[in-house]
Amino acid sequence: MSQSIVINQKEYPIDVPDDMPLLWFLRDKLELTGTKFGCGMGLCGACTIHVDGQATRSCVLPVSSVAGKSITTIEGLSEEGSHPLQQAWLEHKVPQCGYCQAGQIMNAASFLATNKSPSGDEIDNAMQGNICRCGTYQRIKAAITDAAEVMYKEVK
Amino acid sequence: MSISNPSRQINQSRPVNLSRRGFLKSSGVATGGLILGVTVPQHLMAEVIHGADSNFNPNAFIHIAENGDTLIYCGRCEMGQGISTALPAAVADELEADWSRVEVRQADGNEDLYGPQATGGSASIRRMYIPMREAGAAAKLMLIAAAAKVWNTSADNCIADNHFVINTSNQQKLPYGELASIAATMEVPEKPALKEKSEYKYIGKDLARHNLNDILQGTLTYGVDTKMSGLKYAAITHCPVLGGKLKSVGNKAAALKVQGVIEVIEIPRFDVPFGSIGGVAVVADNTWTAQQALKLLEIEWDSGKNGSYDTQSYKAQLVKNVESPAELGEERGNVQRAFDSAEHIVKATYTGGHISHSPMEPNASVVWVQDDSCEVWAATQSPADIQKVLAQYLKREAKDILVHVTMAGGAFGRKFKCDYVHEAAVISQKINAPVQLTWSREEDMRTGYYHSISAQHIQASLDKNGNVSAWLHRAAFPPISSLFNSAVDRAGKGELSEILNHPFGIENVRSESGEAIAHTRIGWYRAVYAIFYGFAFGTFADELALKANKDTVSMLNNIYDNNQDVKKAEQVKRSKRALALAAEKSNWAGRGDLPKNQGLGLAVHYSFQSYVAMAVRVEVNGDDIKVLEVDAIVDCGQVLNTDSAKAQMEGAVVMGMGLALRTEIVFREGAVVNSNFHNYPVIRIDEMPKVNVHFIQAGEEPTGLGEPGLGPFAPALSNAIFAASGKRYRDLPFKPQAV
Repeated sequence: MSQSIVINQKEYPIDVPDDMPLLWFLRDKLELTGTKFGCGMGLCGACTIHVDGQATRSCVLPVSSVAGKSITTIEGLSEEGSHPLQQAWLEHKVPQCGYCQAGQIMNAASFLATNKSPSGDEIDNAMQGNICRCGTYQRIKAAITDAAEVMYKEVK
Repeated sequence: MSISNPSRQINQSRPVNLSRRGFLKSSGVATGGLILGVTVPQHLMAEVIHGADSNFNPNAFIHIAENGDTLIYCGRCEMGQGISTALPAAVADELEADWSRVEVRQADGNEDLYGPQATGGSASIRRMYIPMREAGAAAKLMLIAAAAKVWNTSADNCIADNHFVINTSNQQKLPYGELASIAATMEVPEKPALKEKSEYKYIGKDLARHNLNDILQGTLTYGVDTKMSGLKYAAITHCPVLGGKLKSVGNKAAALKVQGVIEVIEIPRFDVPFGSIGGVAVVADNTWTAQQALKLLEIEWDSGKNGSYDTQSYKAQLVKNVESPAELGEERGNVQRAFDSAEHIVKATYTGGHISHSPMEPNASVVWVQDDSCEVWAATQSPADIQKVLAQYLKREAKDILVHVTMAGGAFGRKFKCDYVHEAAVISQKINAPVQLTWSREEDMRTGYYHSISAQHIQASLDKNGNVSAWLHRAAFPPISSLFNSAVDRAGKGELSEILNHPFGIENVRSESGEAIAHTRIGWYRAVYAIFYGFAFGTFADELALKANKDTVSMLNNIYDNNQDVKKAEQVKRSKRALALAAEKSNWAGRGDLPKNQGLGLAVHYSFQSYVAMAVRVEVNGDDIKVLEVDAIVDCGQVLNTDSAKAQMEGAVVMGMGLALRTEIVFREGAVVNSNFHNYPVIRIDEMPKVNVHFIQAGEEPTGLGEPGLGPFAPALSNAIFAASGKRYRDLPFKPQAV
């Protein structure tokens, strides 16, 4: 029987081979191209999406293995870029070419969901799987720190 | 790339009114409103990286619609360097436009309309700053003239401000939109006056990239993202050895049996610059299926004459070639005579490996070849080269190849070469459908165009007072010219010119070129030869300082001060100024107070007509090198956008760390051994140092900044490590990772 998957709160049938990575189902089947292909081996993080809120590399994730789960991509992270991380990225003018940034933001969003006041080392540790060849790391770090403060200021 | 200073000639450009030239019909742009282009003189147009020919033609392009919406086209290609914000913002500044009413569009490939589009050599700002501003200024004057006509007053009574023209005698206002179609009938001013620096509204500020929101929401279209009805997807594998040939393709039936596979296509080598090196492609209804079916093929290649290329032994040979007399490049003065009377002669040899651009977006494009048309959607640095290569392949006119330029997800020189677009065209023609070809990361890394492997040997003499009296500089590296001429067996005079032209201006200097035959494709990589020349000059200066018993800053100042060439006076002044600020900002004078395992290193390098000095502070613990902080001093004249200029320096530090510390492309038996980011370990966030960027803005004409940050980084790092540990690294990368 055909399985389905929920992507950005919309249900889609999985009508591709079981072992097709979610990345290619998103990009070539659904034409959701915000999630990027970078390495195909889970080494660079450009393809990072959320599976039930958890940052996951979609280039090595068979679509059938996440049947029935809820997937969030950069296109579904927020309404019109309103997520505090997107706002912090805007504030710090993080992107250069921007190609890796969807993956960076998705990874950071999952990280901040569990770490409300990350130290510099914790950010490094959480984000070291996401490569940026333009070299925007200094700004990514600053933006994550700021976003954490915005997201959790009431908590503190 | 030696590029003449075009700033004088640029002033001869002239805006032209396209609204009145029948342009509307031919371009398909909606009628109504003002459309303005600008001419650029022919000698300037010819100043592209590899000598394409061009004519007097418009190159900037402004369209103000009747509702005031303003489009500014950017003809130069955007790959993250920020040019598509910086130049249009300069236009908007002169136009007195409201930036929030401006939409920037990336222009299609059309050098007749937009001027030279080949984007490299850090040349966009240097070449286009004045013509683009003049286009904006001319349009503003035409809007003012239109308002003066409406009000039946003199233009002298009118000023433009924030998308309005204001009548200063009675404070009446007319919005640009209402004036646009009248302005379109006005004469174009011959030589519009440009604003004074104090009047800049957008130039020199930190405007955000025009496409920032699209990036952050995942809606910006890169080369890999083009979609259209009927699109097919392809994957490719190439002959791993340059010049090799396909012997056989086995197991085709199995590949064709995979559900969704459409065809297996052999792509022969196309022997023109930037043509395919030859490969086998699979076309399917999605990329992943194409990739999987490709793996089923059993492909055999004949390696050909480069089948024994081995970078380890090749580099050792290059060292031999520079440590013995080589072919004369040029000589100024008499090096031997100075050596004969020298107090000391200092010698050192420096090497560097091949490196891969590895932009995050692998090579990708969509091409649709039809009987009567050919349309391309590509991340590219040179749409005209796509037109040229596809025209050669398809035997059509270059102007009949329509190239839509998408955002590039990084490029660094790689996307100047359009082999990947050519391959997509071959496939599209064969299957008669639009095709998206996406290279895998492995193909990108293994069959790229690499930064030259290199060796340099320098000997310099010091006189009794510690002055450098002579400098012998031998270099051996397979040059980029080998791409265009397979008979090239070493770097030519032009490729050695940075030695005699260096702002050091040593009185007696001699360049020599050691044999270095290319066994792979050599290509421009961000900063190009400035990577290894900067490294050798900057590191050797530090070594000379040690020998002369001076500190590096004094030594460098001494060398610059000895440069008596009046033509180099400005380079000397600006190099010294950058160096002095680097010393100040990094607290060079207080370096003795650093912890014992820390060191501070400095270097300054002039490249692409910009000056960058870097001060690097490192901590060395045994084998572990940690870059702690970098002060980058930038003199690129007037900065157009301070934010993206800073970003270029941050990026240069990260890329510089990679190539200085550990990334190297290794060949064995003719083929690249590296394959993906696990064995080409680029810098990640946990290694990011603190980068402080300081601008010297002394009013000079603006120059580019995409590349100049690379030259000084590696030598400053080498010098810092030496200061911290006493260990001198002369080979890039310092700590190559075994592959």
